[in-house]
Amino acid sequence: MEFFIQQLVNAISLGGIYALLALGLAVVFSIVGLINFAHGELMTVAGYGLFFAIGVSLGLPLAIVLAIFGAVAMALVIERVAFRPMRRADVTGLLLTSFAVSVILRVLFQNGISARGMPVPMPSALAGSIDLGFAHIGVIPLLSIAATTVSLAALLLFLKHTVVGTAMRAAAQDFAVVRLMGIPANRVVAVAFAVSGVLAGVAAFLWVAQRGSVDPLMGFVPVLKAFIASIIGGLGGLAGAVAGGFVLGTLEVAFQAFLPASILPYRDAFVLGIVILILVLRPEGLIPAQTGKRS
Amino acid sequence: MKLRLALLSLTALSALTFAAQAEELKIGLASAQTGTLAFGDQPSLAGLQMAVDEINSAGGFGGKYKAVLDVKDTRSDTAATVQAAQELVASGINILITPCDADPSIAAGQISQPAKIVTFTFCGTTPTITSAVGDFMFGTYPADNAQATVLADYAQEKGYKSAYILKSPDSAYTLKLPEYFQQVFTKKGGTIAGEGTYSMGQQDFAAEVTKIKSLSPQPDVVMTSAYEPDFPAFIKQLRAAGVTAPVLGSDGIDTPTVAGLGDVVDGVVHSSAGLPSAGTPLDAFAKKFTEKTGKPFDTVYIANGYEIGLIIDAAVKAAGSLDPQGLRDAVANLKDVEGVTGKITYAGTDRMPSRDIALVEMKGGGRSLVKTVTPNPADVPAP
Repeated sequence: MEFFIQQLVNAISLGGIYALLALGLAVVFSIVGLINFAHGELMTVAGYGLFFAIGVSLGLPLAIVLAIFGAVAMALVIERVAFRPMRRADVTGLLLTSFAVSVILRVLFQNGISARGMPVPMPSALAGSIDLGFAHIGVIPLLSIAATTVSLAALLLFLKHTVVGTAMRAAAQDFAVVRLMGIPANRVVAVAFAVSGVLAGVAAFLWVAQRGSVDPLMGFVPVLKAFIASIIGGLGGLAGAVAGGFVLGTLEVAFQAFLPASILPYRDAFVLGIVILILVLRPEGLIPAQTGKRS
Repeated sequence: MKLRLALLSLTALSALTFAAQAEELKIGLASAQTGTLAFGDQPSLAGLQMAVDEINSAGGFGGKYKAVLDVKDTRSDTAATVQAAQELVASGINILITPCDADPSIAAGQISQPAKIVTFTFCGTTPTITSAVGDFMFGTYPADNAQATVLADYAQEKGYKSAYILKSPDSAYTLKLPEYFQQVFTKKGGTIAGEGTYSMGQQDFAAEVTKIKSLSPQPDVVMTSAYEPDFPAFIKQLRAAGVTAPVLGSDGIDTPTVAGLGDVVDGVVHSSAGLPSAGTPLDAFAKKFTEKTGKPFDTVYIANGYEIGLIIDAAVKAAGSLDPQGLRDAVANLKDVEGVTGKITYAGTDRMPSRDIALVEMKGGGRSLVKTVTPNPADVPAP
């Protein structure tokens, strides 16, 4: 029983991180139709932010704020420099632009900081586990569940109760109408990128707290997972992205926990097999995005 | 008259340069200076560069050949490694150096072997690298099976009866080294409490760690050859879950990243090519390196790169020329080359050198030497 509860916590915690990442992709995709593969590099920026802030002993809370701030700043910069000039480009053009941004950033990290990984020592308070009576649960998984919950709640409040948030939700369904209502397009898009930066920053903190180091290529695996999660969930829908993240996290943990040792090396094949099955049964994803456009 | 003199001196000069060029030892490096293998290749190059500078200013390799390095970055990509190797071989190098991993090293070796160019892998440790390529391919770092033997012997000495093995099928190093350990450990009476697998770069070990945590009884020791970024993620999550079993690792974690993790890695013992402890030649080398480059000696890969310079020097000296076959035979017959980590011998091996292996314990962000051993060849499993 304890084993099951611990694995459940693992699944929710990993799923939460994937959900945050997928949400970051979905927020941008829903508005500009861009799958931002440089999203992983926003995480790397946040990771280096943590590294430098902890290196000059700023204390963890301030380091996290700085890391998130770094990711938001980078998100706004790449939106302004790379994506705004490409706004009218088609999906392929945008996709290639995001790949280019991703590669350029990675090269900058390698040549400007270091091609080798850097340790990010976390306070030892984060290294322990808490005895809940029926199970021992690690501090970091609990923290990621908490951070995911808070971020999701904050995002929901933002989208429902602010003008920009409402405009973003409307833009996701029909951007042209939103602009006809007099909402400046640039602001909506910039806010979408900023939100994705915040989500990348939070996810980066949780990811780095688990891995203990930061390197230039760090963002690749998470963005791939986020991509898979948002596809399972239904590309462009925010609820779908969250669902997709949790489904992917749960699948990964479940197969790792319960596959017999002899076929364990094929875990990823099993996970992706289920992903394909989901897409066969529901080609639009688990919770298809609502749009005014016809696909 | 003046013009004549000028012309004459020009001719003399060009003849000199020509002579100097003919006497050059060209070392080509298809090396991963960026990407996932940079953790090993970057410091290795720093060490090799220092050896080349020293030997050049002392009169050259074998006392007469000045060496020049031609470095091409492979970005840790196997296809790019092959391309770099092709360009280097076409440019007429005498020696090729390949990245710190089996796959790109074997791929590059397929290019240099038919061209009869002596090739060293920077710090690839898979013992089958040499047999997979051919007689011109050499390793330098202690091989996986030798490291695994030393680790298994150590586990026996510490009285560990059962071991949990964590491996990844994604590379020869992460798969075979734990398997060699398992072979030696079980042959000497140990049992395997369980084994787990991970995908490289995955970073989420929570599910795997929970499995280890739920083992009853707990294993006496956990053994893995995971390296960064996987090892830091694994050890952090293992300790966070409350598993206190000692952890044995291999040379891949001999990096500042792992040492910088803080007290979570305290007590981890790993194999390595050496550790600078006070009074040893390696310590003197470490000081000299810092003095010359202004950079800290933060990993033994620097010393390994330096020793490749010493090995080439000794081979060129023994061969007396840069004749490819002569050079190959000279390397293959080297005996007791005085390196900075100990003596290095190729004679009688299948071109993976026999040399000392250090067991190192991490503590308080630093490392201390447990002991230095040369594994008994009879115990080392066949590759």
